[in-house]
Amino acid sequence: MLLAFALSYLAMTALCLAMPRHHKLLLGGEPRPTRRRGLRALAVLGLGFGLALCGLLHGGEIGAVLWLCQLMLAGLLLVAVLAWRERWVLPVAVLLPALGVAALLF
Amino acid sequence: MSLRQSMAGLHTWGGLLPSWLLYVIILAGTIACFDKELDRWMRPALHAGEQASMGADQVRDWLQRNVKDELHAFWMHPPTEREPYWRLGWEVDKTQRVQSIAFDPASGQPMAETVGGDFFFVLHYALHAGQAGIYIVGLAGMFMLVALVSGVIIHRRIFKDFFTLRPRANGQRAWLDAHNLFGVVGFPFHLVLAYTGVAIFVSSYMPAGLQVAYQNDVEHFFSEVMGAYHREELHRPAAPPVSLDALVAESRQRWGGGEPGWISVHHPGDASAVVDIRRFGTSRIAQPKETLTYDAASGELLHRQQAPAGYSTYSWLAGLHMAQFGGSLVRALYLLLGLAGCALLVGGIQVWLRKREARGGAGIGVVRALNGAVFAGLPLASLALLWGNRLIPAGLAERASAEAWVFVGSWLLVALWAVLARRQPRRLLSQQLALGAVLASGLPLLNGLTSAQGHLLASLPRGDWALAGVDLFLLAGGLLCALCAWHLAKPQAVAPARGRRVLAEEVA
Repeated sequence: MLLAFALSYLAMTALCLAMPRHHKLLLGGEPRPTRRRGLRALAVLGLGFGLALCGLLHGGEIGAVLWLCQLMLAGLLLVAVLAWRERWVLPVAVLLPALGVAALLF
Repeated sequence: MSLRQSMAGLHTWGGLLPSWLLYVIILAGTIACFDKELDRWMRPALHAGEQASMGADQVRDWLQRNVKDELHAFWMHPPTEREPYWRLGWEVDKTQRVQSIAFDPASGQPMAETVGGDFFFVLHYALHAGQAGIYIVGLAGMFMLVALVSGVIIHRRIFKDFFTLRPRANGQRAWLDAHNLFGVVGFPFHLVLAYTGVAIFVSSYMPAGLQVAYQNDVEHFFSEVMGAYHREELHRPAAPPVSLDALVAESRQRWGGGEPGWISVHHPGDASAVVDIRRFGTSRIAQPKETLTYDAASGELLHRQQAPAGYSTYSWLAGLHMAQFGGSLVRALYLLLGLAGCALLVGGIQVWLRKREARGGAGIGVVRALNGAVFAGLPLASLALLWGNRLIPAGLAERASAEAWVFVGSWLLVALWAVLARRQPRRLLSQQLALGAVLASGLPLLNGLTSAQGHLLASLPRGDWALAGVDLFLLAGGLLCALCAWHLAKPQAVAPARGRRVLAEEVA
């Protein structure tokens, strides 16, 4: 489940970076259209894999509810980090999936 | 007037006026996510985690020995993982008054009375005001739906500002960001919960069909809608009843290993007496609808519930709202999102306040007093209720009402305090937070003093997370309150110039 949350956070971060304002703040500079499209595609992948993972772990019915709930919380977490500790946004986006994979393996 | 302008007025006033009521409903519902864990916390007899050894027949024997009135119905629930004890409730004929008790798993005797976690559940859907409360809550829920939809219409930059929160901006801007953030990111949750919440009591809110098609015969309506069984009273004395435990065993077999939930007996003293055994399950969103109905005297299977599609849809919606599926994970997520809903309301009110504080306006004092009385009053009164639960002696008569009076009394005191101190909202909030910190972090200590098996040092090594979770949550909440109080008590810094510059850049 932690991995699903990490994927949702990753997807939200990608969507956020696809917006010029947040891209400028976090990575510096205006994003090129190809990069914006790439980031959005990444977000779709993250959302899709997250949903699939929830469905696998908890069945389609309950998995979908869990996925949507934790997606909303991932969004809230991202905005909180962005507002108060903007430098941590990207490290958290790396750390969370790593922890998620570790939690799945061990 | 454009659509957006008219919706803005609707959102402002249709949102402001019910928001204190909605806060009570949402926060009570949020707490009620863990009502059964709280219930266990509030009953020290359950802290050791002993298994109940009683059977359904022993529960019925207790009832027959101790209650001599003729009963309209009685019902009982076997122990489950979250509620490891037998519960029993009954309604004396022609009184409509329901009584209930819970049995100590170790001794088989009734436990000390307590309002339990159920207190917050009833507060959530009926405000402890019976049918009138259900209508008030329904009206508030409908207002919430209106506010959610009108909020979407008046928000000009839903996607552009999706990730925007500027805590360092001026008050109104920062609170508007926060209000938008909780509203937009949490939108699916708030919409679904408001809608399903209103839908649960649809037969009360839209009774026209019931009144016309069933001549207001509620029981007939429900048994037909649910595909259940109903037998009219015969007014002849009942034959000796069969063993309930045998019926439970038979039901298990018929379900292929399913567990029983509520076991209810209607008209137990009449020849028409029937036993309903509902199936218990948490693996699907909708509660199982496989009730078996037996004749209470012969044990003959009279009916097997076959819910029509409409009722299945209804119970799916109700199940989605009540979060009895998917274990603690679902409940924890609902808890966090429910708190986000409270933040949404607080944020909205702060936007209203900050806008008017800047240019002056009527009603600011009232809104401030209500904020202090409700936003802080309900959590503080809930904490006081838990204190009362431990400090009121176990043998006191009407112990549950004493607990409820502690809740009401402390809420009234906080409300009075908020009205008197409304001119200094910052100081009031900081003192209220400090009080909250003391009350919340004191509870795990009090738990340690009053329960030998329930405190953290005992429950954590046992791996009893359901019980330890309540204490840990209280500790964390107390710590958070203390931090906020400390932060607020510091002299207010002059708004830094940097905030303005960043804001200007972001808008550009």
